[in-house]
Amino acid sequence: MLSIPMPIIIQPRDERTQPARIVAGYPQTPLRNPQEPLVRRSPTLSELTGPLEVAGRVRLLGGDIAGHGAKQAIGQLIHLKVRVLDEDGAPVGGTVVEMWQANAAGRYIHPNDDDHAPPDPNFYGAARLVTDERGMFELRTVKPGAYPVPTRDGWWRPPHVHFSLFGKVWLSRLVTQMYFPGEPLNAQDRILNAVPDAAARESLVARYVPPVGDPYNALVFEHQIVLRGRTATPAQP
Amino acid sequence: MMIPTGEATIGPFFPPRYVDAGANDLTLFEGHKAKGEVIEIRGRVMQEDGTALENLIVEIWQADAAGIFRHPADPRHAQADPDFLGWGRAATDAQGNYLFRTIRPGAPEGRAPHVNVMVMFSGLMRILKTTMFFDNGTDPVLLAVPVSRRELLVAKKKQGYCEFNIRLRGENETPFFDD
Repeated sequence: MLSIPMPIIIQPRDERTQPARIVAGYPQTPLRNPQEPLVRRSPTLSELTGPLEVAGRVRLLGGDIAGHGAKQAIGQLIHLKVRVLDEDGAPVGGTVVEMWQANAAGRYIHPNDDDHAPPDPNFYGAARLVTDERGMFELRTVKPGAYPVPTRDGWWRPPHVHFSLFGKVWLSRLVTQMYFPGEPLNAQDRILNAVPDAAARESLVARYVPPVGDPYNALVFEHQIVLRGRTATPAQP
Repeated sequence: MMIPTGEATIGPFFPPRYVDAGANDLTLFEGHKAKGEVIEIRGRVMQEDGTALENLIVEIWQADAAGIFRHPADPRHAQADPDFLGWGRAATDAQGNYLFRTIRPGAPEGRAPHVNVMVMFSGLMRILKTTMFFDNGTDPVLLAVPVSRRELLVAKKKQGYCEFNIRLRGENETPFFDD
């Protein structure tokens, strides 16, 4: 079980660092997002606690998803090193991370994906891990391909990786996407660009690490994810 | 101070295997039965035009039968039911229905009995958070909601289950919280 100094404080976020709820050119967003104003509440113990033992409830899946030997997935082999921190910059260890992505051709293994691109029998594209005490997790995978969105109006999703994380409390739960540096499709992606603040968008793009020889056969990317929450400073008597 | 990472939609391709068999049954944890009254929570999730939404992810978090959260921030957590985690996940079926089997939560300190609910779906750029109550009573979170909308957060008592429908937008829209 994750041991943490208590209690955790959650403060409102700067709206400019979070995506708009209704996005021009993303036709599902105006049908599914509330039109009534969201209700402000003061968080109570209920929202400032949360499940710390999700790993005891779900099945973990290893972080090496590119396959080996005759079962190796097609595509550019990459190695992702991701660090999970809280708003104090403290590592969030022992928390479950769920990751999923398209294959190198831009195809997901999911009944919702159509047949625009070939599946890869050696690539399922999902890992479920627990961060270590440094808040780190690593993935050996292939670089996901871009794919066209069914709007068929020129919107393509750039290569990206999905992450779902739990963190220390209910309000630290996060679903996000990570992008790759230098991708021309990043500039026109309607999901990435729904975040108004340029620095906040930039923080969704992984950092390319120049090769140093190890691992010799994979390009390395580093990424940082910041979950909501700070540790309360105990009041001085 | 670090800036929290921007949210994004869960999209249409969340792996079905992440909705583990039994993840919607909170009455069992690591093979042991939780204490308390077993209840079912069922509901239908709809978008603006009333269309039911399939494969939408619902997660819940709640206190145990004694109103204790399994988390060190709860001063009483050492007395929490060892066989109750308090978290579950379900996906909606083709008719937009979800189902949880759980334990009727006790009242946490200063709160009425309730279940925290989160919704994740394609087209939701951020997680939507709400709270289900069993009665339209006195609770600081329920009282934060305009009086005319509070009833929308109260589960309907049905034969053998509690019904909590979630309308993402439009008529009888579920109140969601801005945290």
